[in-house]
Amino acid sequence: MTTEGYRTDSGAAAVLSVEGLRKRIKGKWIIHDVSFDVRPGEIFGFLGPNGSGKTTTIRMLVDLIKPTAGKVMIGGYNVQKQPEQALRHVGCIVENPEVYPYMSGWENLEHFARMQPGIGEERIREVVEIVGMDQRIHDKVKTYSLGMRQRLGIAQALLARPELLILDEPTNGLDPKGIKELREFVRMLAAEGMSLFISSHLLSEIQLMCDRVAIINGGRVLAVGTVNELIDENASYVLWQVDQREQAVALLSKLGEVTLLEQGDHGIDDAVMTALPDAIVTTITPGAIPGIVQKLVSSGIGIEAVQKVSPTLEELFLKLTEGEGIV
Amino acid sequence: MNNRPKGSAALWRIIAGAASLATLLLLFGFAYAVNDVLNPAAPAPAPGAPALDGQQPLLGSKEELKIVAIGDSLTKGTGDATGQGYVRRVVTGLAQKMDSQVKLVNNLAINGLRTEQLIDKLQHDTGMKYALKQADLILFTIGGNDLSKLAQTALRSDSANPDFGVEEIGKQLQDGLGRLDQVFKLVNEANPDAQIVYVGLYNPFYPIPELREGSLQVQKWNDEAYRLSFSYPHMKLVPVFDLFEDPGGTYLASDRFHPNGEGYAHIAERIVQMLH
Amino acid sequence: MSNLLPLIQNETLKIWKKKRFFVILLILAILIPIFTYAQMRMAENNKDKFADWRSQIIQQIADYQNALTSDRIPEEWKKYRRIMVQQLTYYLENDVDPSAPNAVTFTRGFMNNAVTLFIPLLVLSIGSDLISGERSSGTIKMLLTRPVRRWKILFAKLVALIFYISLTIISTLILCYAISGIFFGYGGWNLPVFTGFVINGAEVDSSGVHAVPHWLYIMMQAGLAWFSAVIVGLLSMMVSVLVRSTAASIVTMMATIIAGTILSNMASAWDTAKYIFSVNLQLTGYLDGSPPPIEGMTMLFSIGVLGVWGLIALIISFGVFTKQDILN
Repeated sequence: MTTEGYRTDSGAAAVLSVEGLRKRIKGKWIIHDVSFDVRPGEIFGFLGPNGSGKTTTIRMLVDLIKPTAGKVMIGGYNVQKQPEQALRHVGCIVENPEVYPYMSGWENLEHFARMQPGIGEERIREVVEIVGMDQRIHDKVKTYSLGMRQRLGIAQALLARPELLILDEPTNGLDPKGIKELREFVRMLAAEGMSLFISSHLLSEIQLMCDRVAIINGGRVLAVGTVNELIDENASYVLWQVDQREQAVALLSKLGEVTLLEQGDHGIDDAVMTALPDAIVTTITPGAIPGIVQKLVSSGIGIEAVQKVSPTLEELFLKLTEGEGIV
Repeated sequence: MNNRPKGSAALWRIIAGAASLATLLLLFGFAYAVNDVLNPAAPAPAPGAPALDGQQPLLGSKEELKIVAIGDSLTKGTGDATGQGYVRRVVTGLAQKMDSQVKLVNNLAINGLRTEQLIDKLQHDTGMKYALKQADLILFTIGGNDLSKLAQTALRSDSANPDFGVEEIGKQLQDGLGRLDQVFKLVNEANPDAQIVYVGLYNPFYPIPELREGSLQVQKWNDEAYRLSFSYPHMKLVPVFDLFEDPGGTYLASDRFHPNGEGYAHIAERIVQMLH
Repeated sequence: MSNLLPLIQNETLKIWKKKRFFVILLILAILIPIFTYAQMRMAENNKDKFADWRSQIIQQIADYQNALTSDRIPEEWKKYRRIMVQQLTYYLENDVDPSAPNAVTFTRGFMNNAVTLFIPLLVLSIGSDLISGERSSGTIKMLLTRPVRRWKILFAKLVALIFYISLTIISTLILCYAISGIFFGYGGWNLPVFTGFVINGAEVDSSGVHAVPHWLYIMMQAGLAWFSAVIVGLLSMMVSVLVRSTAASIVTMMATIIAGTILSNMASAWDTAKYIFSVNLQLTGYLDGSPPPIEGMTMLFSIGVLGVWGLIALIISFGVFTKQDILN
């Protein structure tokens, strides 16, 4: 498998550019080969199951871990060689937003503000307002909920007006409301021109938040592309709800661009299936749906619903690695 | 950096200021100490401190009797399981008898001390001189170790060196007595006003028949010591030899050399009887 | 260099906010009165028994001399007593009371006893937490992803550590003086103290002995204690870099320091032990002429040994910290 195949051709304009990153810990290769670029103003997803090497890669991006080979460029500076310049325009939260519990939120922000020149009290007030923490900013952090800490972490990351914000599993531990707020927040930041790098093990999350995505498993990047492309191309299901189920199945099975799937052949969530009783599960070559609909209608079959359903992450991986002997 | 809330910045300034000052001060101390060791300053006498020798003995009020004891293991109290020796018993005995405050200032006795060592101390040990000067009553024993050393040499020479005869023993005894004379003189010089009590010698080997004759030598020493002490008006010799002339060694400690508690009690009794 | 100052400010404030230094002050404020009371009882006891301090010293000398005649006492201990006898005699002959009961004498005595164990333990409570504290709380990830070189962060932590070591020692002095003064009186600053005893085997060479005023002596003593404490601080920082948990790092350092104190009490025959750092911590002993734990050790030797240990600790700390992967 070559890395070049997955390189995007954004060139030198990339905010973050990762090339041939490899890491060996205690004689074991943890990261085999990771390359991708993050372009200005985009929300870039980094998708992979737990243990796929996501966190290790992120730590190499921000100089917490030294790569065995390869390089990370941020804003044109090599993170390993010029960390002071490279990290100047990066804000990040690695894993949990860990701040000093024995200080107040404000004191924490002051602490991190002092580590970089040019961040005054004014800017601290700004970021506090951005994350909406004005009420409790002077309380000790140990009294904060996880959501509050998350916000404080983001406020900290925003202090230096970064061009790139790296968030590692940002939705971990948040309630649905918090997740929704975070999503809106991320979109808002991107709209202001900031690049975001968001890692997750949940495909749905990446789908909802990101423009482009790199998929990582077993320390290798399997694919890089826009989210919809990847999903459509690889493993999207189409679910049919019709009034005459048997006739529809008979008709669909004759069409070349349709593959019918029995219960057990697909990995669609049970909850989804219960919500769509008697749905016919198929995979269809992209762009064929309108034609099929016409055929069904002309055969006198009433269509109640046609739905696209995303595959699970595991299925996506299975698809992506088919025929490459990795699985 | 100037527009932070005052609390944090002021705190930082205070801590940093105090800590820097402290660090500088300690660095100075460290440097001074190292320099002091590398280049010790010229020895200087303690400023303003009066020299010991120039001090008058602190004469106690008549109600308080101060006792200083010097000498060898007998004065130390070796062999007494209660640790009192004769000295502490004299203190309590006198306090009862005279119904006044009696205080032991110092017991400077040292195990195994011989006459020549005591002479050296009396001449050079400012501490001992200072202590003696304060005393109203001086108790001391000396010479026992001289004699026992002599006895040991004589015993060994019986087989190995037949030349070590009676004359040699006599000569060494005479030397010892010469040193005793000097001790008496020095003690009296150290404090001419104090009452001085010298406790005579005894023969610890009396229970051993072959060594019983040693009593004769001991008696010679005591005789001569009495003669020497006679010329000092404040000096008394207290004889104790008879207490230990017992084949069973009733008053000897388990080491068969020093008195036991009972022995010390009798020695103390005699001293208390004699003083009034 | 200009950006080092805010970093030092950060580290200093963090240690303060973490209330480590308050704990130290609290420990001192509780322990010093206890020692003061013990000292007071001893002074009262001596006052009853002895006519004046001279009689006390004379008796002390006689007791040491008696111990010298005993065959049961090991030769090394006798050596110590011989030296003590010579020193006490020196004080007596110059008519200076080495333990005149006042706050300054108490402070001196406390410092002298605190330098090998007590102060190092206080320093550990800060030093061992420097890096491991950030690791166990996870904040190290925030700290090291800022655009600041790692050596600068460690350097700032080191400066903050030295700040608090200095403050700890000065606070010890001040608290000792303030608390013991209530009982012993606040005088004694100008009392002469002798220093410059040179020990050769069992003999004291007093040709270099000279008197210094008490306050200067205390400064010298505090300076030496500070040096010992800084070395302990450097070593604890190294352990803190190498070990992930603060507890493990404190235990490691405590074990070596206590082992050192035990060794200096019993292993005077094991010559190589003099290269162990914790055997060399009692620098203040060279000032008052106490016999060194192992024959042949001098102040410069001990400072040298401690200096080498400190240097190695620095090299390892910075070497490891700047290259280390932060895995969790």
